[in-house]
Amino acid sequence: MRDAQRRYLSQRQSAWILLAPFLVTYALFLVYPFFRGIWISLHDWNLLAVAFNPDAMEFIGLRNYERVMWGRNIQWGFSAPLWQGLGVIGLALAVFLRRADRLSRFNAIALGVVSLLLVVLPGFHPGEGGRWYDRRFWPTVGNTLVFVGFTVPGVTIAALLLAAGLNRETRAMGILRTLFFLSQVLSVTVVTLIWQIMFSPRQGLIANITKTFGGTPINWLTDQQFAMAAIVIATIWWSLGIAMILFLAGLQDISKDIYEAAALDNARGARAFWFVTLPNLRRTITLVVVLQIILHFQVFGQSHLMTQGGPNDTTQVLVRYIYQTGFRDSELGRASAMAVFLFVIMGAFSIIQFVIGREKDE
Amino acid sequence: MRHVLLTAAAAATLATGAPGAMAQEVTLGRFFGACENAGTDTTTSVGEPCIIQSIINAADAEIDGVSINTLPTDWGNYYDQIKAAFAGGTPPDVFVMHRHRIPEFAGIGALSELSGDLEAAGIDPSDWSENALEAVSYEGGIYGVPMDFHANLWHVNMGLMEAAGLVDDTGAPILPSSPEELLEHARMVEEATGQDYLAADFAQFPIGVRLVLALMWQQDANIFTEDGTATINTEEAANAVTAITQLFDAGYANPQLNYADSQQAFLNGEAAVLVNGTWVVDFYDAQAADPEVALSNYYAADFPTLFDTGATWADSHMWAIPSTLEGAERDAALRVLAFINDHNIDWARTGHMAVRSSVVESEAYTNLPHRDEYAGTAAIARDTPPSERYGAIQDVLNRELQAIWLTGKPVEDALADAELEVQDQLDR
Repeated sequence: MRDAQRRYLSQRQSAWILLAPFLVTYALFLVYPFFRGIWISLHDWNLLAVAFNPDAMEFIGLRNYERVMWGRNIQWGFSAPLWQGLGVIGLALAVFLRRADRLSRFNAIALGVVSLLLVVLPGFHPGEGGRWYDRRFWPTVGNTLVFVGFTVPGVTIAALLLAAGLNRETRAMGILRTLFFLSQVLSVTVVTLIWQIMFSPRQGLIANITKTFGGTPINWLTDQQFAMAAIVIATIWWSLGIAMILFLAGLQDISKDIYEAAALDNARGARAFWFVTLPNLRRTITLVVVLQIILHFQVFGQSHLMTQGGPNDTTQVLVRYIYQTGFRDSELGRASAMAVFLFVIMGAFSIIQFVIGREKDE
Repeated sequence: MRHVLLTAAAAATLATGAPGAMAQEVTLGRFFGACENAGTDTTTSVGEPCIIQSIINAADAEIDGVSINTLPTDWGNYYDQIKAAFAGGTPPDVFVMHRHRIPEFAGIGALSELSGDLEAAGIDPSDWSENALEAVSYEGGIYGVPMDFHANLWHVNMGLMEAAGLVDDTGAPILPSSPEELLEHARMVEEATGQDYLAADFAQFPIGVRLVLALMWQQDANIFTEDGTATINTEEAANAVTAITQLFDAGYANPQLNYADSQQAFLNGEAAVLVNGTWVVDFYDAQAADPEVALSNYYAADFPTLFDTGATWADSHMWAIPSTLEGAERDAALRVLAFINDHNIDWARTGHMAVRSSVVESEAYTNLPHRDEYAGTAAIARDTPPSERYGAIQDVLNRELQAIWLTGKPVEDALADAELEVQDQLDR
C-alpha cells in the first residue's frame, strides 16, 4: 500500500510533467529565437561572414533601427494634409462622440489612438538637404498597409456574404461550402501559379474574356495600377475559407427564435440580415478582422512569386523586404530590426484582440 | 553508453567503408530549372535544364565510387538558399554560380581555392581561354571551374525582317547602327507587318537593365567606378534609356511584357527582335523547326552597336566547392567538376559560348546551329565592375528603369534616384 502511494505524483508535479514538452518546445523554437532576433538586430551582422567567423559581428546598439526608420534632417510638419486632416477629424469625432455618449470608452480610445497616429506619423519628412537613410522602408510599410487595407475588408465582406448564402442544410449547400473552402488548403505556390495563369495577358482566362467583349487585355502583374489589385484578388480567393467557416459557426449560434420574432415585425431577407444577423455576429466579425489583419501583415509569397515586388516596388511588402535584406543582401542585423518593427505592429493588434475578447457583452 | 555508441558507429563505418561497398555522396546545387527524365545521354538533350541534368546523371553513373544528389533549388531564390545553407553549415558539396558572385562568396572565405588541385583532378586550366581563367580568379586564386560565357543576343525573326526589307545580300539581318536608325527600322517593320520591332522582358527580370548597361558601355560609360562611385545620373545613361523609350513612345515595343510573355510574343511572330541571352538559341532553333510555331526563320545576331564601341552584357557560369569541404568528400567533388569540364561541348549546345580553347576550335563547336551568326559576341562581352552588392545594385536599376517605362517617371528623376541608391549600396 505504501509502495503504491509513493508512485503517485502530486497534482503540481504531474502538471509540470505534462506541460514540460510544450514548454521546452515553446522556449526552444519561439522564445529563444525571438530574443535572439532582438539581439541580432542590435548588431552589424553579415549572414555569410558570421557563418565563417562568429566574431565578425559588431554591437552597434540601435543603429540598425536608425538606419532603417530614420534619416538625415528629418522634420515634422503638416506635410501630408490629406492623412493628417483625416486624423484631426478623427480626433475631434472621438472627443465629440464620447462627450455625447455615442461611443463606448474603448471605441473612443481606439479611434483616438488611430487618429493621433494618422496626425503624427505622416508628418515626418526630410527637410532641406535631408533624406531618409533607407528610402524604401516606409513606402514598403505603406504598401503593406494598403494590401492589408484592401484584403481584410475584402475577405471579411465576401466571406460574410458567402456564409449567409450557404447557411442552409441542403446537400447542394454542403457541396458549395466544401468547394469554397477548398482554395484554403492550397499552398501559396499553387495559388500564385493559378492566378499568374489567370492574369496572363496572353493565355489568361481574364484576358480571354476581355477579348471576347472586344477589350484590350490588361497586363495585371506588370501594370502599376493593377499589380496590387491582382495580388489582393488572389489573396481574397485564397483566404476566404477560414473566415467563411468562422462566420458559419457564428451564424449557427444565432437562435432561430430571433429571426421568427423579426419576421413578425416584417424584417425578412436583407432587413433581417442587417438588423438581426450583423449585430449578433459582432464578436465573430471582430475576431475575423483581427485574425486577418495579423495574418495579412505577414504577406510574402503572393508578392514574391507573382510580381517580384514590382513594378517599381508598388507591391513590395515588409516581409519580402526583410527577406531580401537578410538573405540577398546578407544584412541580418538590419533585417532583424525590420522584423522587430513588424512584431510590434502585429503585437499591437494581438493586444486589441485580447482586450476585445475580454470585454463583456454590453 | 557513449562509448558503446561510438564503437557501434565505428563498426558501422568500417563495415560500409569496405571497398566498393558504398559510394561517396556528393550533394549538388544548381539553378537552370528542373528536367524530369533527363537520362544519361549528354549528346542529345535539349535546353539548359535537360542538358545540365543529363551531364549530372552521366557523372553519377560513370564516375566510380561517386553518387550525386541534386538538391531541389529554385531559380529565383537560388543564392538565398545557398547562403542559408552556408549559414546553417550545410552547403552543397558542389554548386553552380555566376562569376559576378565571386567577390561576395570568396571575399569572406566561403569558396575553396582550387589552383593546386586542378591538374591532379584531370582539369587542365591552360586549356581555358584567358577570359575564362579571369572569370574564376579572385585575388590571385582560382575559385571555380568555368562552364561558359553567356551574353545578350538579338534573336531575330527573319520573316518579319524580310517583309520590312531589312535583310542584306548575304541573308543576314540589317541591324541598326544608331538610336535614330533603331527608330527608323522599327517604323519600317511596323509599316510593313503591323508587328512590334523589339520585345524583351522589361517588366520583371533585369533583361532591360542589361540592355541599358550595354548601351552605356557602348558610350564608354559605366554605372559605377572601380573605386566605388556611382555614375548613373549622366548624359550617357540618359542616351541609353531614351534609345529604348523612343520605341515605347512610338508604339514599336511593349514594356509590359515579362520574360514568358515577351518570349511568346517573339515565337508568335509578334516581334521582329527579341533581346535575350545565349541560353535559348537551341530552344528557339527547335521552335522555328516546329510547323505550329509562327516563327519559322530564326537568326541569332550579335548585339548591334548603336553608339561608339561594341558591347553586350555578359556573365559566366562556374562550379565551386565550399571551403569547408575536406578529404575524400573534396576529392569526389573535384571529380564531378572534372566531369563537367570534360563535357563543355555538350553544354555549349544550349547556345552558350564554350570556355575551353580545345572546344572552341573544334569542328563540333563551330558546326553548332547559328554559332557563326553570333561569333562576334565573345569580343564585345562586358559586365559591371566587381562588387559584393551586385544583386542589390541590379535590383535598384531594375526598379528605377521599370519606373521609367512602366510608370512614366521622368528619366532624370529615375537616374538621380538610382545613383543615390546605388551609392548607398556601395557605401554600406
